Amino acid sequence: MTRYLRLYAYFLRFSFSRAMEFRLDFFFRIGMDACWYAVHLAFFVVLFNHTGTLGGWTLDQMYLFAAALFLMDALQMTVFANNLWALPIYINRGDLDYYLVRPVSPLFFLSVREFAANSFLNLLLACGIFVWAVARYPEPLGFSRIVLFLILQAAGAFLFYILSMLSLIPVFWMQSRQGIRDIFWSLHRFSHRPHRVYTGFIRRLLMTVLPFAFVVSVPASVLFEGASPTLLLHTTAVVGGGFALMVMLWRMGLRAYSSASS
Amino acid sequence: MNSRLFWKVVSLEARTKMSYRVEFWISAVAAFAADFGVVWFVWMAMFRESGAETIGGWTRDGIIIYYLTVVLVGKLVRYREFTGAISHDIYEGGLNRYLVFPVGYMPYKLAQRIGLQAPRIVQFALLGVIALLLVDIPAETAPTITTIVMAAATIAMAFLLSFMLDYCIHQVAFWADNVWSLDVAKWFVTSLLGGFMLPLSVFPGWAQDIMAWLPFRLLFDLPARVLLHRADAAEWALGLAAGVFWCAALWAAGRVLWRRGSLEYTGVGI
Repeated sequence: MTRYLRLYAYFLRFSFSRAMEFRLDFFFRIGMDACWYAVHLAFFVVLFNHTGTLGGWTLDQMYLFAAALFLMDALQMTVFANNLWALPIYINRGDLDYYLVRPVSPLFFLSVREFAANSFLNLLLACGIFVWAVARYPEPLGFSRIVLFLILQAAGAFLFYILSMLSLIPVFWMQSRQGIRDIFWSLHRFSHRPHRVYTGFIRRLLMTVLPFAFVVSVPASVLFEGASPTLLLHTTAVVGGGFALMVMLWRMGLRAYSSASS
Repeated sequence: MNSRLFWKVVSLEARTKMSYRVEFWISAVAAFAADFGVVWFVWMAMFRESGAETIGGWTRDGIIIYYLTVVLVGKLVRYREFTGAISHDIYEGGLNRYLVFPVGYMPYKLAQRIGLQAPRIVQFALLGVIALLLVDIPAETAPTITTIVMAAATIAMAFLLSFMLDYCIHQVAFWADNVWSLDVAKWFVTSLLGGFMLPLSVFPGWAQDIMAWLPFRLLFDLPARVLLHRADAAEWALGLAAGVFWCAALWAAGRVLWRRGSLEYTGVGI
């Protein structure tokens, strides 16, 4: 474990020094995410000009949801996104060999090697928006709920990573440009709105087989609705089950992998 | 660039695009279902919880048809995978070959873009017909020959405007190390201010006044409203003229960027 932490510290150092080499891109990235935050907040503000609640949530609750969405996005952009974009290229070109011969888990190496320093600043910005949303909430949320939310939100970001990986792992067999990532990107839009707006079969789907509700909406709901033991168990089952499935498919993928030297 | 070569490039790109047919159809259907599915649930909840009969001048069914139209129009107007094409030429030295081609770079890229987007007309038609069969479209918004012709002209203008926006933004690559973020930021702004995320009539009055002066509404909102009989002939003509003006302005900006940027460009052998 210590070895992995030390290795991650090296990844961080390299990533920051590389990010500072491309300063204009550094600021463009920050601007891009700031734009995304503004557009999302504006979207909800405009909607709430016409309604008092959406999915049973008020505008203040929607601000908390939006802040949770920004936190999740910034977290996954900072830790995982750059690595996952490159993964299909490594698999298709046979560049995976380099990672397979290292004395560390290839899954760990490939998933977190590149830390997006520019997105890290967006994570700070997202934290700022979250603090603002909590501060303007009409009732005190309580320390324990905030801590529980942060844990569930970290789990949500990890779940997003798992779902991304599940959409990329088919590249081992398909040799396509990006597996079924287009489908993933389309489906992940369901996580951009509170799960309470969905009804019937789709809501059940988002809580089980395609668990996008647990990426942002369920963690956010814990802030103002609290969490039942069933909900916590459900979250653990979804994240744990998803992780086990991902590792199993990853191993199967590695067995199917072939390159010029393997 | 002569028209024969132009259409040859269009045809070549269209055939290249169609060589990945399964990917093409799967991503198209998934994107359509997700785009439309999410807004359908959001607006059902909006009408259910507000108890309003109309929102921003749209009934519940009207707004569903609006989104259906906007998502379909979006397929013809924007091209996500074009992201990087011009900037990649600049970063990877691919621009070298275009510099010695006896054709202009911009018309060549336009031909490529038309070719890449052309197969989407099939998607537009097919998904449009399916939508017409599934959704109950009121007689007053059903497309007629006149609205189809008017909308076709508006979509063509919107496509050109979208291309010119991309063309200018991608040329920032002459100076910046990566323009991907700029391109994505452009999509965020155009989706909100262009009417892709929300019909513009649901915005407050002061915001609508500002948006009337911006080019983004011409990308999705105007073509969709023309197709749904929500824009009269005068508004259509004015919108078209505004689109032509913005295209000309962006074309001029693109020329300035090209002249200055190509002086900054370095590639193998240059």
